[in-house]
Amino acid sequence: MMTLRLAFRNLLRQKRRTIFTGLSMLVGFVMGCFFIGWADGAYNHIIDSFTRQRLGHIQIHKQGYLGKPSLYKTIDNPERVGKILDTVGHIDSWAPRLFSAGLVSAGEKSAGVQVIGIDTEREERTTNISNKIVEGNYFDNRIRGVILGKDLARNLHAGVRDSVVILSQAADGSIANARYPVTGLIDTGDPGLNRSAFYLPLEYAQELFVLEGKVHEIAVNAANLNYIEKVAKELKSRLSGTGLHVADWKEFAHEFYVAMSADKGGMYVMLVIVVIIVAITVLNTILMSVLERQKEYGVLKAIGTRPGSLVRMVLIETALLAGACILLGSVIGYFMNLYFAEYGLKLANPIEWGGVQIKYMKGEVNFKSFYLPTITVLVTALLVCFFPALRAARTEPAKTMRTF
Amino acid sequence: MEQCSNQVIVAKNVKKNYQQDSIVVEAVRGVNLTIEKGEFTAIVGPSGSGKTTLLNVLTGLDTPTEGEVWLNGRLLSEMSQRELCDFRRDNVGFVFQAYNLIPVLTVEENIEYVMMLQGVSKNERHRRVVDILKQMGLEGYHNRFPTQLSGGQQQRVAIARAMVTKPALILADEPTANLDSKTSRALLDIMRKLNEETNMTFVFSTHDPHVVDRARRVIILEDGVNVREETRN
Ligand SMILES: Nc1ncnc2c1ncn2[C@@H]1O[C@H](COP(=O)(O)OP(=O)(O)OP(=O)(O)O)[C@@H](O)[C@H]1O
Ligand SMILES: [Mg+2]
Repeated sequence: MMTLRLAFRNLLRQKRRTIFTGLSMLVGFVMGCFFIGWADGAYNHIIDSFTRQRLGHIQIHKQGYLGKPSLYKTIDNPERVGKILDTVGHIDSWAPRLFSAGLVSAGEKSAGVQVIGIDTEREERTTNISNKIVEGNYFDNRIRGVILGKDLARNLHAGVRDSVVILSQAADGSIANARYPVTGLIDTGDPGLNRSAFYLPLEYAQELFVLEGKVHEIAVNAANLNYIEKVAKELKSRLSGTGLHVADWKEFAHEFYVAMSADKGGMYVMLVIVVIIVAITVLNTILMSVLERQKEYGVLKAIGTRPGSLVRMVLIETALLAGACILLGSVIGYFMNLYFAEYGLKLANPIEWGGVQIKYMKGEVNFKSFYLPTITVLVTALLVCFFPALRAARTEPAKTMRTF
Repeated sequence: MEQCSNQVIVAKNVKKNYQQDSIVVEAVRGVNLTIEKGEFTAIVGPSGSGKTTLLNVLTGLDTPTEGEVWLNGRLLSEMSQRELCDFRRDNVGFVFQAYNLIPVLTVEENIEYVMMLQGVSKNERHRRVVDILKQMGLEGYHNRFPTQLSGGQQQRVAIARAMVTKPALILADEPTANLDSKTSRALLDIMRKLNEETNMTFVFSTHDPHVVDRARRVIILEDGVNVREETRN
């Protein structure tokens, strides 16, 4: 009790020094809090854009399809899977897809294409595909045909309202062959896809490849990034034994995931800066006050205070200050991160990442941006002030109290 | 050797050398003395004669280079640092020349401090603080901070702190050095009165003749040796 009282009063003693030490802890904490919130916000925004707008957060395939895609590895019962998806919580939307390859010609020109059969309504709800149409129209009830990647169209010298012919092989071994009008051109954001994408309404594609009622992939978007793991886990258990494989984006977009993880090193650099700021100021100021109070520690020790109590006194003094700064810093950091999570920062030059345009940098309020700086500031301050604390404990009354 | 129970301090051939650069300073050079319970003793000597050094060694604040010190029946050199700490807490009350009181604690808290270390209950602590402040003529001062007191009052609080746990020995190194002669004499009068009332043992160092007058036994120290002593009434 007395130790706590002494520590507290000692803090109030040299107010300017206490404020200076506190300020450095506060700045360190808020910097850490803001940076982590900001970095997480930005990364999650990139990840969400990349996955949600194109691949989906989670994908379901027949077992083995991801490693080696093939026309024959189909999900044979998409309706049944769909019914299950509709009963799982935290799913935002889902969309079935059918993939194949083919040769397209328009007039004299021809090119290899990737055929993507999409459920026109579900795809729109899941990836907002119509936003990417740069010419012509997205499919609706009346407009049916094909949407071409914009560079594919240029290579074929084909435009909206022209018609193109596709040649491929169906699942039953027969020749797949059909002519469709071009309804729109798409800029997917992915250069490779722009040169090869050949979007068909799902039922056209199923008919063309003789895969009635079957698809290759079901893309699922969770309500937000934080639910992906939970949803994937539940889907895995609900779909076990069906021969289907559930993968989240970390699995099916593994390279992207690795790139994103590597970039998170910035966070640790930031925390190291916080450690340095706090360590230097705390060491300086606490050491200074300990040296100034040598005579007092001498008296305390002479009259029977154990060295351990003196160590505790110095540590408590620092911990009290750090605690107060962390509390205040949390309030400041919370509102800062809340503001930037809400309004973000519009980028003058949008960043391109894997074909997705990032126009906003947004912060995020999450638990990590509070507990990591808390641990960093507290542990650094206490570790660093251990040295002055030991110094206080080692005070030799006979030496420090000499008056000559 | 068996120690007699009313011997508070027994020093045998105590020597203390300080190494200063390449020269050895012999601050205390073979002191033999015995202090008995209830004494009111002054250690007197010119500046540099080794008074502070001797008192530090006698209370375990410093270790002698040679010789043995028995305090309240215990041989100091046999105790660990921590044991010494606890032993001082329970057996010795200190009054220093300056920097006695902890500036961030009130008069009451300063006096309470050692009792808290000893685990005395709150009510008991308060009762004793009120009592001792009355004896010291400092009623009503318990919420003041040291800086709000005069030098004489501060030393009285220091004596109160030293006495409040009823230690075997109260040791004061030049308690009046920073006080004027009138205040010094008043402080000594209080100490002597307490000594007579409670039979607590007082040992103090000084070079002030007015203060020496108040002592009942005077040990004269010269060049680190107790050369002479006088007994008075
Ligand atoms: N830590 C030390 N290192 C070196 N020499 C010391 C040390 N402490 C004391 N001395 C020397 O020991 C001698 C005795 O010093 P001490 O302080 O005990 O004398 P004193 O009688 O208390 O003097 P004063 O009346 O001035 O307080 C002096 O010569 C002093 O310079
Ligand atoms: Mg001295």
